[in-house]
Amino acid sequence: MHAISKIIARHAGKKAVEVGEIVNVVPDYVMLNDRGAARAADLFRSMGGEKVFDPDRVIVVFDHHYPPIRPQDSISQKQTREWIREQGIAKFHPGEGIGHVIFPERGYSFPGALIFGTDSHTVTNSAVGCVATGMGHSDIASYLALGYNWLKVPEVVRYDLHGQFRPGVYAKDIALRIAQLYGEDAAPYLGVEFSGPLIAAMPMPERFVLCNMVIDFGAKTGYVQPDDVTARWMAERAPSLSWTAETTDSEQDYGGIVDIDVSAIEPLVALPHDLSTVRKAAELGDVRIDEAIFGTCTGGRIDDFRVAAMIMKGKRLAPHTRMMVNPGSREIYVQAMREGLIAVMVEAGATIGVPGCGPCSGCHQGMLAPADNAITNASRNFKGRFGSPEANAYVASSATVAASAIAGRIVSPTATTSL
Amino acid sequence: MKFQGKAWTFGRNVNTDLIFPKIWFRPTYAPGEMASHLMVGIDEDFPRKVARGDIIVGGRNFGCGSSREEAAAAMKEAGVAAVVAPSFGRLFTRNAINVGLPIVSLAGIDEQIQQGDMIEINLSEGWIRNRRSGFEARLPPMAPESLKLIEEGGIANYTRRVLEQRRGMQS
Repeated sequence: MHAISKIIARHAGKKAVEVGEIVNVVPDYVMLNDRGAARAADLFRSMGGEKVFDPDRVIVVFDHHYPPIRPQDSISQKQTREWIREQGIAKFHPGEGIGHVIFPERGYSFPGALIFGTDSHTVTNSAVGCVATGMGHSDIASYLALGYNWLKVPEVVRYDLHGQFRPGVYAKDIALRIAQLYGEDAAPYLGVEFSGPLIAAMPMPERFVLCNMVIDFGAKTGYVQPDDVTARWMAERAPSLSWTAETTDSEQDYGGIVDIDVSAIEPLVALPHDLSTVRKAAELGDVRIDEAIFGTCTGGRIDDFRVAAMIMKGKRLAPHTRMMVNPGSREIYVQAMREGLIAVMVEAGATIGVPGCGPCSGCHQGMLAPADNAITNASRNFKGRFGSPEANAYVASSATVAASAIAGRIVSPTATTSL
Repeated sequence: MKFQGKAWTFGRNVNTDLIFPKIWFRPTYAPGEMASHLMVGIDEDFPRKVARGDIIVGGRNFGCGSSREEAAAAMKEAGVAAVVAPSFGRLFTRNAINVGLPIVSLAGIDEQIQQGDMIEINLSEGWIRNRRSGFEARLPPMAPESLKLIEEGGIANYTRRVLEQRRGMQS
């Protein structure tokens, strides 16, 4: 069995499961974001639910619409606060950052865990070597009532990453390369494991970027086999937590193995409005940038701030370019302030927003106007995602976004900074 | 389960941001509200054009993207009889099953159906037929658990039933 199958089997109370089998599982934690909590609570009641099955397994975050900018969200968040009090849900993180960033920070996701959430990017957690996947609101409402969910055991494909990173190339560029080569449905319904010598040397924040993006290849969950890097992360994040990593039995447990030589990858950009139309940043010509959108569950971690500040230090945004920055979490915000990274970005002309999803939620500060061109280190460039459906969003790494914000047009980060 | 209806065709990689744009998200929805925004990211007039019993036909990776259940729920509410595509986004698949919307996946099916074609589907026997062209194909078997959930009308009905059973056992 693959480690993913073993994790599912354990949470189903079974010794073994087969790929394709549907089992009922009890997750370790279920994340409800602001929208998810409101919808799931409503559906939970309509399903006849009274008391949440196990409030200790439920974690509520406000990240999409916090602080609320529309009266409907204020009302909904007030109702959710009342609901979680009634239900005895104690793990509540309003405005503390994006669920998928907070979870690993606080040790809610750990090796061998099973995590569900009311958001597609819940897969991000899987970088710690767990199974993590998004679900719909009725799914989560049913979980709240019954204490389990149905889950189909996925086949697993492995991406073996090897070679050397070129200067200015990051995990995000690898993800864009996979989308370019294999499309937005590169891994439909599958588990995606990242492995190989490059992964062994890759720090956790970059692993989160890779696993975050697997949903945008169609996958059910990502996976990285826990190693020393994972163990150090867990020791720092949840020193008192004991966890057991599962391991994969053999090469026969993979539906496919794909070899990716990272040495061949240059800084990349996905063009509007899908992730699989990808070009080299250096070859895009003169694409004017009106807004740079920096942050999200893909690109709002401390490493992203470090590389952006290195590129932006002592420089100013192009006169026609604005930049919206939302740290992934409060902890990252404070750390970025301590290191002077926020000051560099503000002095360059960037606007700092609250820790959370920012414009990627579709209704927060920094919405785009028709014909605006934006570059973002988020995961998606879907039409209308950041405001007007007539706007264009380009997706790239944090370095490419920062360099393009300074240049006012899309450039490779190596064009402006020695990286 | 069998039905027939008029086909509405859409392309590849239609994401849920297009099927149900975020600006229409609400904490609760009045009856008919979700259906009134169905597919407006592609065609503003679609909610007025689609009729009960119609069938939505997508290209590869239909319903990719976010976890929003509204994408599938709005189709169910609009009375869409089934959604058909060569492949679907995983969350859309899951949400369709959970809201009790019949979902049919068959390689190359988008090439066999044109806008307005009359389509017949028999989920229990596992076949699909295009009455205009005469095209007919067997459907890959659906997991019995999923078919059962669809037949029960979705996960809400299932949950209600299990809760009642539990309460019955307690009393």
